[in-house]
Amino acid sequence: MAMPQFQVHQPKTLESVLDLLGRHRSSVKLLCGGTDLLIKMRAGAQAPEHLVSLNRVAGLKTISYAGGDGLVIGGAARISQVGKNAEVRRLYPGLAHACSVMATVQIRNMGTVAGNLVNAAPSADTAAPLLAYGASVVAVERGGRRQIKLVDFFTGPGLTVLEPGEMVEAIRVPDVSPRSGSCYLRLSARSKVDIAAVSVAGFLNLDLEGRVIRCRLALGSVGPTPLRCPEAEQILEGQTPDEKLIAQAAAACVRASRPIDDLRATAAYRRAMVQVLAQRVLTQSLDMAKGGTP
Amino acid sequence: MKNPAIIGKSIPRMDAPAKVTGRALYADDLKMPAMLHGKLLRSPLAHALIKRIDVSKAKALPGVKDVITGADIPQVKYGNWRLVPQSQDELALAVDKVRFVGDEVAAVCAIDADTAQHAIDLIEVEYEELPLILSVEEATAEGAGLVHDESKGNVSLVRKIDYGDLEGMFAKADYIREDTFKVHPVQHAYMEPCSCVAHSEEANRVTLWTSTQTPYIVQCLLASTLGLPENNVRVMKVQVGGGFGGKMELRPWEFCASFMAMRTGRPVKFTLTRADELAFGRRRHPMSIYSKVGFTKDGKLLAKDFQVMLDGGAYNAMGPTATFLCGTFGNMLYNYPAYRYFGRHVYTNKPPASAMRGFGAPQAAFVAETQMNMAAEDLGIDPIDIRIINAMQTGDVIPDVATISSCGFKECLEKVREISGWDEKRKNPKQGKGLGIGCFSFISGGVFNWFNTKYNFSAAEVSVYEDGTAQLATMACDIGQGPDTAMRQILAAELGIPIENIRLIAMDTATTPKADLGSWGSRVTLMNGNAVIDAAKKIKEMLIPVLFEEMDLNQIHDIAFEDGRVFVKANPKKGITFGECVYKALRGRRGEPLTARGFYTPRNKGLVSPAFSFGAQIAEVDVDTGTGLIKVEKMYTAHDCGMPINKMAVEGQLEGAIQMGLGYALMENLIMDDKGRTLNTTFLDYKMPTAEDMPPGESADVFTYEPEGPYGAKEAGEGLAIPTAPAITHAVHEATGYRCMETPITPEKVLRALDKIK
Amino acid sequence: MAKQNIELIVNGDRYEVAVEPNRMLVDVLREDLGLTGTKIGCAQGDCGACTVIMDGVSISSCLTLAVEAHQRDVTTIEGLATSPQELHPIQAAFVQHGAVQCGYCTPGMVMSAKHLLNENPHPSEEEIRQGLSGNLCRCTGYNKIVEAIGAAADKMASSAKEG
Repeated sequence: MAMPQFQVHQPKTLESVLDLLGRHRSSVKLLCGGTDLLIKMRAGAQAPEHLVSLNRVAGLKTISYAGGDGLVIGGAARISQVGKNAEVRRLYPGLAHACSVMATVQIRNMGTVAGNLVNAAPSADTAAPLLAYGASVVAVERGGRRQIKLVDFFTGPGLTVLEPGEMVEAIRVPDVSPRSGSCYLRLSARSKVDIAAVSVAGFLNLDLEGRVIRCRLALGSVGPTPLRCPEAEQILEGQTPDEKLIAQAAAACVRASRPIDDLRATAAYRRAMVQVLAQRVLTQSLDMAKGGTP
Repeated sequence: MKNPAIIGKSIPRMDAPAKVTGRALYADDLKMPAMLHGKLLRSPLAHALIKRIDVSKAKALPGVKDVITGADIPQVKYGNWRLVPQSQDELALAVDKVRFVGDEVAAVCAIDADTAQHAIDLIEVEYEELPLILSVEEATAEGAGLVHDESKGNVSLVRKIDYGDLEGMFAKADYIREDTFKVHPVQHAYMEPCSCVAHSEEANRVTLWTSTQTPYIVQCLLASTLGLPENNVRVMKVQVGGGFGGKMELRPWEFCASFMAMRTGRPVKFTLTRADELAFGRRRHPMSIYSKVGFTKDGKLLAKDFQVMLDGGAYNAMGPTATFLCGTFGNMLYNYPAYRYFGRHVYTNKPPASAMRGFGAPQAAFVAETQMNMAAEDLGIDPIDIRIINAMQTGDVIPDVATISSCGFKECLEKVREISGWDEKRKNPKQGKGLGIGCFSFISGGVFNWFNTKYNFSAAEVSVYEDGTAQLATMACDIGQGPDTAMRQILAAELGIPIENIRLIAMDTATTPKADLGSWGSRVTLMNGNAVIDAAKKIKEMLIPVLFEEMDLNQIHDIAFEDGRVFVKANPKKGITFGECVYKALRGRRGEPLTARGFYTPRNKGLVSPAFSFGAQIAEVDVDTGTGLIKVEKMYTAHDCGMPINKMAVEGQLEGAIQMGLGYALMENLIMDDKGRTLNTTFLDYKMPTAEDMPPGESADVFTYEPEGPYGAKEAGEGLAIPTAPAITHAVHEATGYRCMETPITPEKVLRALDKIK
Repeated sequence: MAKQNIELIVNGDRYEVAVEPNRMLVDVLREDLGLTGTKIGCAQGDCGACTVIMDGVSISSCLTLAVEAHQRDVTTIEGLATSPQELHPIQAAFVQHGAVQCGYCTPGMVMSAKHLLNENPHPSEEEIRQGLSGNLCRCTGYNKIVEAIGAAADKMASSAKEG
């Protein structure tokens, strides 16, 4: 299969990006890292006639954090940039971990977090932690902006609610309160250059008595999209977690999962691992939350 | 025996500076004026008749210079076993029938790669599907269809070994165990995808630059398939980005490039993609193995009945050799008073399996070593002790194979026990942790001549010059393992000149002496090393008379070649420089250059190998019993490769072999669907270990002096690829109780064995 | 599709080339510029053989459109040594420590090492292994490569001190 032909646009402003997306809406794709898109195009799975590059647009790579407002990750911020960001490492360790271990060094230097989400693979490494942190996506088009909760963003493998002409301008992640803990764990047979066979992310916030005020749990690679686990979250909220409760919540995560057999793992293994990883994620998150600082 | 200082030294590879700066040229780096780019059309079906091929649209595409199918080529079947013509079962392009997904059906060359690919997409082929045969069990079942009409029952080759009183010995045995094993396919995964460029400057002559381990084999088979005299085909050196057994045959793209270069009068290049390599390339044989072993209650081996079906895929490739060697490796490490081997090479509709580092031994040893560990456990004997009881030693005879002329196996077992802290750690077992052992023996090149060469197995030509330099010309190939440096070390040692003074010409079938069978079977160090020594000795014989005349020496004197000088051994002051000696010798030869050729073919060494390496390895693992993930924490190795020529190169072989063995045991696997299509065709999903997966290692050298080897050297390339998988398997068993009988070990299998997944 | 004129700055040299928009940087480096030191091992971003440094970070040139490299600063393996006699300390360490066998992964490994040491001049062994995890090697088992990079880091640190 030869690489299809296409035209590359390299605008310098967001306005021109949106113009181009609008103008070519039937056959256009955004290009930033290109690490997923170009592979799909070479395999013939995608053949847009126009690529609009974000690489020369000023201001889209910014990562900013403000107490109270939380974290804003620019639509063109590289995965490695996010993984190395001091605020992300301190407050959002699950996301930092995902951004430090996924794919390869080179791919992380090229690819963006926004691209990882828009690509919408069930195994997208940044999706599970961002779901756990309650992130939203800021989508922009010529007509305006809207904020989409990440939990509502994915509709199927490779599919999102983004409309033609729309793009991710930024990812917003709520601030993390004191007495919070979070964690992301992924499993694969090899340490790197890999797609996780199962992944689990968790976030816990405790009150002064050690009761869970807020819990979010998310799973990767065990359904058609990255998943949240509302039932498991409810089991924990308002409770003081112990080993038994954590095991119950993990079991609820297993019920939320809809894994399949593929060449990376069987459904049975994935289900079992959701239980194991969810327990570990919750235990580690709880320890961190009890430590007083997120 | 004391070797010259340059032997055994860790000399950096002489080609390393070119490789670290990007100057080293590999086949795909070559570009020639008017060069065309070739592409292959491959079968999408695993078993089908070709009813019709229409290439008219492809031919009509602007920029396309040639399109060929099986109907256009001389239909001469080829294969490396020329001695057994009926084993030669392959055509560069399929005629009438395709036998695996990826079987080459047509080839195109065009002015650029995209045009060639476009033309390939325009070729129409009508197939009639045939029933698929995707396992050895299906292939050998009653009433199975045939992959090749000539091979009844789909068995292309049978190998039997039988000695000793098998039934009698089993009757005497206190302990007998019978097990069946299955081992899976893995790939060489050399980093450089195959590539070649052919150029035909004169009618009916062609030169091929190709990524190969066996230029001589490619030359001969290319000549026969093109219908040309051997001398009309020249195969030339490029850097080869790894081989591991995967680049040792004539390949369809080499034929197509040459054939189309001759037809178009323009150079033609083919370069494969990684997906081509993973989906269609050669691989290590999957096998179904039955093995029955008998021991006395004291752990003495009495008998082994070893029955193997090799899943050869659609063509023989190097499968017959693997079938032969699997049997030979089944009894190489230990003394078996009675041994029976029944090996069958079976055709299936899968990409052909072939040689891969270890060549039948990783599979045979996986079984032998695993059963050894099972027996040790059942008999209550330490796994190292039971091996020592049965270990081969110097002077032992492998019936019908060889007398072992050097063997440090027992020393290896003792050493590895010591460096790993085996006794101590086994006394204090820790949850989820375990130590396991695997051992190996390997050949230092084969004595067998299935290729039926008329020439010596290895050859070298040495020329020396009055400026004190020398040239070494040999067909032996460096595919990354380092003979370009090691051979110069040997020559430098022989002539006593600095290694920098030796220029090397290698791997050119037109200018280097015939022949060399190539880099496989761990043969180069021993065989080519001996050829270099032979040539050097002849050169020295030409030089020594100069000194006798010059110094008016008594005939009892010996002459030494050291430090760039030629001198009287008993009186080192009496001598001249090497260059001066050459100059004087030349003066007496009236213009005839000082050139000598050396050769090596094993003599009186049986029919398998002139020398055998040995070794033992211990793996230390930590298993996460929640997830089943296995971390190999450390590898301990003790090995006997004779006297190493280049210590650093030997270490490199060991460390690289561990990577391959670890991948084989835990991660790598070619996964196929029920249509015979390979599913994991990227390095994302064909999981070979990364830098982060590699454990630290500790090794101990056991130096033996192999009388047949150059400066006492034996092989170090392939043997080391054998023990890692059985050692890890054993360690996982010690850590968890899970014994892998069907490779690879996966986290899921571990958890199922622990009853954590129902 | 019409070719686009682009300007590449590779190893400090300016090149003007006309390329189809669908061509990858690795192909333009190898075919148009003749810089064949950058290798193709998978063309999918999995193996790292094509690693080059663009604007200071390591990237897979097999997944980078050549037009996207327009006017950006690219360093390839050919740009590391100041002369054939004077290798970059990383290259010299690869030679000395036996970190090279078949050599096909070597250019990418060296470029990844360069990126790693740019970001982290004193990496631990673990950090070196993490830094190389996007570069596959089938010959060496990586250990000698890890050793070589550690030695190069030491060498570069001590010569920086002296300098």
